[in-house]
Amino acid sequence: MVAEWIELFVDGLARGMILSLFGLGITLVFGLGEILNLLLGVFAVVGVIGSSLLLGLVPGLAVAALIAVSLVALFALALDRTVISVVYRAKGEDRVMLGIFVTLGLSLFFEGLLFIYAPGSVFLDSGVPSVTVAGANLTGSSILVITAAAVLFGLIYYFFNNTFLGIGTRTVIQDETGAVLCGIDTRRVQRIVFVLSAAIAGIAGVLYALDAEVTPASSFTLTTFAIMVSIVGGVNSISGTVVAGIALGIIMTVAGALFGSYLASVTLFAAAIAVLIYKPEQIS
Amino acid sequence: MNATSLQSTVREQLPTVLVFAALVLIPPLFFDPSTTYLSRRFITVMIFAIFAVALNIIFGETDQLILFMGGIAAVGSYTTVLTAEYFSISPWVTLLVGALLSGIFGALVCYVAARRQFTVIVLAIVTFAFQMIIMDVLVGLRDITRGSTGIPFRDLDLPAVEAATGLGSFAVQFYVLVGIFAGVFLVYKWLTTSRYGLAFATIRQDEFAARSSGVNVVRMKVFAGFVATFIIGLVGPFYAATTGIVIPTLFTFTGVDVLVLIILVFGGLRSTFGPLVGAAIIIYLDNLLSQAGQWRTVAFGFLLTGLFIYFQDGILPVLQSLYEDTDVRDRLSALRGGE
Repeated sequence: MVAEWIELFVDGLARGMILSLFGLGITLVFGLGEILNLLLGVFAVVGVIGSSLLLGLVPGLAVAALIAVSLVALFALALDRTVISVVYRAKGEDRVMLGIFVTLGLSLFFEGLLFIYAPGSVFLDSGVPSVTVAGANLTGSSILVITAAAVLFGLIYYFFNNTFLGIGTRTVIQDETGAVLCGIDTRRVQRIVFVLSAAIAGIAGVLYALDAEVTPASSFTLTTFAIMVSIVGGVNSISGTVVAGIALGIIMTVAGALFGSYLASVTLFAAAIAVLIYKPEQIS
Repeated sequence: MNATSLQSTVREQLPTVLVFAALVLIPPLFFDPSTTYLSRRFITVMIFAIFAVALNIIFGETDQLILFMGGIAAVGSYTTVLTAEYFSISPWVTLLVGALLSGIFGALVCYVAARRQFTVIVLAIVTFAFQMIIMDVLVGLRDITRGSTGIPFRDLDLPAVEAATGLGSFAVQFYVLVGIFAGVFLVYKWLTTSRYGLAFATIRQDEFAARSSGVNVVRMKVFAGFVATFIIGLVGPFYAATTGIVIPTLFTFTGVDVLVLIILVFGGLRSTFGPLVGAAIIIYLDNLLSQAGQWRTVAFGFLLTGLFIYFQDGILPVLQSLYEDTDVRDRLSALRGGE
């Protein structure tokens, strides 16, 4: 019985850390520039498909994933330079609306292309053997996800607390005008963070594919999950998003095990609705 | 009423009369009993035109962006079909139950949104989350909804009318939808020309100022929300009837909401015939692209992005301003004067 709960908890933690990473992808871009990036799931799926294609060319999943995620970052940079720039030119409520529809259109556009050129489902094998701890059988993928995500959180934490760019980003999140007055090039920060969020989504996608099959249709699901996590954690709070993702991951896994899988995602959406009704002013 | 004002009223109403005359003429001209395909497409155009008018009322008029039109249509359809089955009565009776339930649900969401002062994006996300929940529940509660197997549903035919008029079942269905469209169209006209329209305009411009000058913002938004979701819930069963089965995949976000948004923005927000023109063009495009598989998704994604970046005002208003800017009008009146 205890062993079962440990298994559930570890799986939930792994799932939660992936959700946190996806949530961060939304939080960073929305907090910074008020664009609800509905393209996020596409970045994840491109990362996964890229990794699986590269797996035949380079040795090891880690190298393949690294190259794939760099390609995702380049892809995001190209988008930012072109279409996303148009959205940033709008201000206030107009930008929010334009952001939703333009990224929705782009996500359909790329999802369709993925369906045409890479329609199959992709599963990445971590190659890490499962471990038995106190009678609980912990899967290799969960252990790898938790370790990799923990390292990534460390890097993100370092970036936002110890680098000039990271601190500059937090300044822009707090007060865009104030940041401009302090000599921060907001558009440049927005571009770097957009690319960063795409890379995070790419890595999260690869981690997600260690335990689940990924198809082009996954991009939509992953985007919705990311938005919900970001909302529950507070769209302007980086640490809040991380905590919310982990908590929701564990709750979803337990709810899924106890009441059936469809209630797992219902829990997530219901939590997001409850938070928005309780604190609608957090997204303004 | 004197002669000149009568003349100007006639001229004002002329487009409306022409559009409805054209709609009435569609079945005898295009509905061929041997190929049901084309008739089905025309019926789909009417359904999506009505959906777009509903979105125009709630989003165009009061700036409340809802992204659960598919979910609302599903609530209307499932309520209609399941209650009709349970009480073994005609779905024509339970149609109103479904619409009413959809309307109450929509009004409730709009009430909470207005009271808690949701911004556009908050309402959009909340309704989107509801859309996802409705989809999950429809698939999950398979004991009641029969999950992804679906419920066969073809009971919105009117055999008595078909026998009396000698029309085919598709033609009758089409006329019923034209009737609903006319009703919805009149409601929209009435809304925009009455004091409601004025209140909606003040809410759009400055909600705070509207409130301070005595407009009951919450009531107006809830009212618009009720009317729009009632309409969507009412037409939902007809939408399901086109495929002959009530099934969750019919009501997805991309299948309904994205299409209706494209139709409305393409046709032009707050334009009276925009929804109809938009639906006709977009459904025609959809039809063309249906052979091309996923290129359809690519094309619609491209269209949505392009529309929002370059044509936020929609196609009809753009054509209208072209007509007014160039000297087409002058030349037309010169022609008329020369008679």
